[in-house]
Amino acid sequence: MDILFQSVLQGLLMGATYGIIALSMGMVFSVSGVVNFAHGDLITLSMFVAFTLYTVLGLDPYGSVVITVPVLLLLGGALYWFLIKPLAGRPVTVIQLTLGLMLIIQNVLLMVYGGEFHRVPSALENQFLFLGEGVVLRVPQLVAFGVAIVMSAALFVVLGFTDFGRCVRAVHQNPRAAALVGINVAKIQLAAFSIGMALLAVTAALLLPGTPLHPSDGLRYTLVGLLPFVLGGMSNFLGILASGLLIGIAESIGAVYISGTTGMALPYMMFAVILVFRPQGLFKGRS
Amino acid sequence: MIRNASFAAIRGTAPIGIFGIVLIASMILWLPEYYLNIAVKTLFYVGVALAWNLVGGIAGQFSLGHSLFIGLGALLPAAMLLKSGINIWVGMGLAALVSALLGVAMSWIAFRFRLGHLFFALITLAFGELGLLLVLGTEYLGAASGLFLPTGDSAFESVRLNFTGQSFLTLLAGALLAFGVCAWVVRTKLGYYLGAIRNNEDAAQAIGIDLFKYKTIAMVLSAILSSILGTLYARYSGFVDPNVYASPLIIVEIILFTVIGGLGTLWGPVLGAVLMVPLGEVLRGSFGDTLPGLHFVIYGLLIIVVIRLLPDGLIKSLRCDPARGAQISAPRRAAAKADI
Repeated sequence: MDILFQSVLQGLLMGATYGIIALSMGMVFSVSGVVNFAHGDLITLSMFVAFTLYTVLGLDPYGSVVITVPVLLLLGGALYWFLIKPLAGRPVTVIQLTLGLMLIIQNVLLMVYGGEFHRVPSALENQFLFLGEGVVLRVPQLVAFGVAIVMSAALFVVLGFTDFGRCVRAVHQNPRAAALVGINVAKIQLAAFSIGMALLAVTAALLLPGTPLHPSDGLRYTLVGLLPFVLGGMSNFLGILASGLLIGIAESIGAVYISGTTGMALPYMMFAVILVFRPQGLFKGRS
Repeated sequence: MIRNASFAAIRGTAPIGIFGIVLIASMILWLPEYYLNIAVKTLFYVGVALAWNLVGGIAGQFSLGHSLFIGLGALLPAAMLLKSGINIWVGMGLAALVSALLGVAMSWIAFRFRLGHLFFALITLAFGELGLLLVLGTEYLGAASGLFLPTGDSAFESVRLNFTGQSFLTLLAGALLAFGVCAWVVRTKLGYYLGAIRNNEDAAQAIGIDLFKYKTIAMVLSAILSSILGTLYARYSGFVDPNVYASPLIIVEIILFTVIGGLGTLWGPVLGAVLMVPLGEVLRGSFGDTLPGLHFVIYGLLIIVVIRLLPDGLIKSLRCDPARGAQISAPRRAAAKADI
């Protein structure tokens, strides 16, 4: 029972981070109708920037967000403006483009940093929190959970109650009508894409303590973001976050109760089974 | 009318085609071993790119899950040969059958409701990863360590031909089979139905085309071809590594070749693979130690260049008579509007 409780709790903590990756996909998708398949590779890119900051300046991964967030904000903006925006209205071509981007990021990292695993130690890395009867939580996971929840709450507030949020929702519902009432659609899309990328930089910092780094990890991060993104109905933000928690729990239960790689397949199996019954995702509708 | 026209076209090009095939086949006589190996790899990619293009290009359903079929075709017959002593050609047939069933299952999940192209790409990628994880956890299929096939034993042992030469011929046959199926599809009603589905699903449905049925047919044909090519190439390469054959990365490569050549055209996948695979191999041969992954970076950069400068692929810029290219590739922009 303790093991079940522990694995559910741990899955919940991880799931919040996956939820943020998926929210970032949802944010990009809802205003520009495209999906970026290089999402996870931008996370690894950000992790390697943090790694460089650690080796050169000795910066803690949590501290390095001061640099990685602006870097990804600018990179994401440039990416959107110069590569994705010219392909407006052709989402399948954008998939092809981002698949190419995925290969570029992955292999440039491989050429620069080599194929070995790297680590970025953090001050919080080996801190644990004991919750009575044998339930142990790693402090970095708690931090990740807390930050993820705060960030998604902030995102909901921004989308629900500010002018910027209202513009985003207007572009999501009907870009042409939004343009007619005077919203600069391209600017909103650019902002949403850049914010999505900045979220990835924060996610990278949250994942770093205790996670080994490898240039080819990107696809895995794309996939753990993709599952909740689809299950959550692609543009229902609350649904996406809830699905992220669900995927996290499935992953952690699979890892504890089923041995080896078959356990890692549990979230994917759950995903496939859910799609058989609810092909539109668990949560339909718009935020 | 269409029948007659296509027969005339076939009669006209048949001598050139046969001459071309003989010329390619003669490579086993004059091409040095190293280049012959590259040629075998190229033929494999030509075949799988053609097979993928049937679903991803001609039918316009952007699948990222074809690694399932290639991986199944590569791993299942190899495992059956090694663990149960079943002839590899029997295994090839069985793997093709399982792939076809899997194709039907995937189509059933994805095409029952019209959920859009992005959705299809996303869920097929998840299915591809699921397949890889399941293979890595299955001892019978070699798990994470892969399978070693003995090279040299084959049905043609009596023929005096080295193993690379034999493999070249079997892969050539596989690629020709894929080309033949695609050429047949684009010339028949099925091809026109698929083209209509790609260009505008609403209009296609309105004129009475059964979307689910024809998308599923394309998927099954493509799954069978991918699986057969997987078997042929696995038999040649000897070491069957699930992280190569069943990984979504192989699909990314295939898509890039197809798009660079010309998505949805008959010759595009051929051109893309024939240009890119040897380029990649030569780059890997010269920079593999100092700059690993350079060929992937170049693939990635090329796709961006092609998308920006030649949105219909290289094949469109080579064509002298636009009418023939337009037959299946022109209305891509229109198709894009119907996306999401």
